[in-house]
Amino acid sequence: MFELFQFIVRSRNFILFVLLEVLSFYFIINSNNYWSIRFFNTSNYYAAKIMAWSNKAQEYARLRQVNTDLAEENRRLNALVTQLQQFKPQAPTNYKTDSIFATRFRFTVARVINNTTQHPNNYITLDKGTADGIQPGMGVISPTGVVGKVKICSEHISIVTSILHSDYMISSKLVKSGVIGTAKWDGVDPTRMKMLDISRNTKMYRGDSVVTSEYNSIFPSGILVGRVIRVGEMPNQTFHDVTLSVGTDFNNLSFVYVVENKLQGEQEKLEKTTEPERK
Amino acid sequence: MTLREILNIIFLFVLYLSLQILIVRNLVLFDVAFCFMYVACILLLPAEMSLSATLLVAFVVGIIVDTFYNTLGMHAAATVLMAYVRPMVVRFQAARGGFDGRIVFSIHEMGSLNFFYYVVILTFIHHFTLFLIEANNILLFLPALIKIVASTLFTSVTIMLVQYFSRN
Repeated sequence: MFELFQFIVRSRNFILFVLLEVLSFYFIINSNNYWSIRFFNTSNYYAAKIMAWSNKAQEYARLRQVNTDLAEENRRLNALVTQLQQFKPQAPTNYKTDSIFATRFRFTVARVINNTTQHPNNYITLDKGTADGIQPGMGVISPTGVVGKVKICSEHISIVTSILHSDYMISSKLVKSGVIGTAKWDGVDPTRMKMLDISRNTKMYRGDSVVTSEYNSIFPSGILVGRVIRVGEMPNQTFHDVTLSVGTDFNNLSFVYVVENKLQGEQEKLEKTTEPERK
Repeated sequence: MTLREILNIIFLFVLYLSLQILIVRNLVLFDVAFCFMYVACILLLPAEMSLSATLLVAFVVGIIVDTFYNTLGMHAAATVLMAYVRPMVVRFQAARGGFDGRIVFSIHEMGSLNFFYYVVILTFIHHFTLFLIEANNILLFLPALIKIVASTLFTSVTIMLVQYFSRN
C-alpha cells in the first residue's frame, strides 16, 4: 500500500499529464458533449460580449465591402421584382399557387460576430438567438450565396455550421442543364468546392451557376451556391469531377439572413410517415 | 517566487491572452500561417514552478483559447503536451551548453539564439499536435504540414518581436 502511494507521489506529474490529455481528447471526440454546448464556446455570454466588442471595431474597415454587397443585392431584388411582374410562374395552366406555401419562408437579418475559414470544419457565430426566433436547423444565406445551417442557439447567440465543413452537403442544381447533384467542400481552399454525382452524360458549361435545388427543405430554391470553373474527367468513373468557385465570400461576411421554413416541420412529419414502408 | 514575480506572471497572462483573442485571432497570412502567440504564457513561466502547476495552468489557458475558437479540447491537448515536454527541452539545451546557472526565460538572460531555439522547438511541438488533431484525416496531412511549418515560423517570430520590445 505504502509502495503504491510512493509510486503515485513519484510519478504524479506523468499521471496528471495523462489525465489532462485524456480529458482534452474526451472533449474533442465527443464534440457535442454537454460542456462544449453549454459553456465552452462562443455562445457563452462573456465570450460573446468580448467577440461583439472586438468585432465592432473591425466593422468600420469593412463598410465599403458591405455597401457594395447591399447595393448588389438591391439590384438583384429589383431585377427579380420586375421579372415576377412580367412573367407568370412556369407551371401547367391548372396549377394554382398555395399562398401559405408561397410565403413559407421568413427571413431574419443577423450580424456575424465570429467567423473562420481556415480550419477543416468551420463555424460562424451570429448575434441573434432564440429570442429572435432562431432555432437549430434553420438555413443561413448571405447576399451573395449560401452560408450554412444553424447548429446551436442560446438566447441571443447562435452558432452556424458553415458550408466549409467536412460533413456538410447541399442538394444543388446546375442552372443550364437542370441536373441535380450534391455540393461539398473538400477541406482545402475556402473559395473552391466540389460538385458530386453529376453523371458523364450531362453537358457541362464553364461558368454555369449552381443554385440550391427545390429538394432542399431548409433553403429556398435558387440561392447561389457557386459557379462551375473546371470540369475534369476521371478515367474510370461515371461522374464528372466538377470544381466550383464558392458564391459567398466568407472572408468578408458581415450580415446574413437566417431562413425559417414555416412548413419544414409539417413536411418532415409527413415524409416520416412513409419511412417504414421504404425498408 | 516573490509577490512581484507572481504579479508579473498574471500581467503576462492577461496581455498574451487578450492579444491572442482580440487581435491575433484574425491575423492569418496566406491562409496557412496562423499566429498562436498565447503559447508564450507557458514558455515564459519561471523554471522553478512545479510541473504539476504548469500542467494545470496550461490546461486552463488551452480551454480559454478553445472557447474562443469553438474547438473545445484541441488547444488544451496541445498546450498540455507542450508544458509536459518543456523541462525536457530545457534539460537538452542545458546539456548542449546553451545556458548555465539559474534559468530565466527571457531574451536578455538567455541570448537571442538560445531563446529562439527554445521557442521554435516548443512552438513546433504545440503546432504539430494542434494541426494534426484538427486535420483528423490522412488526406489533409500535407496541407496540415504546410500550416504547421508556416505557423511555427510566424508564431516564433511574433513572440521574439514582442520580447524585443517588451523590456526597455
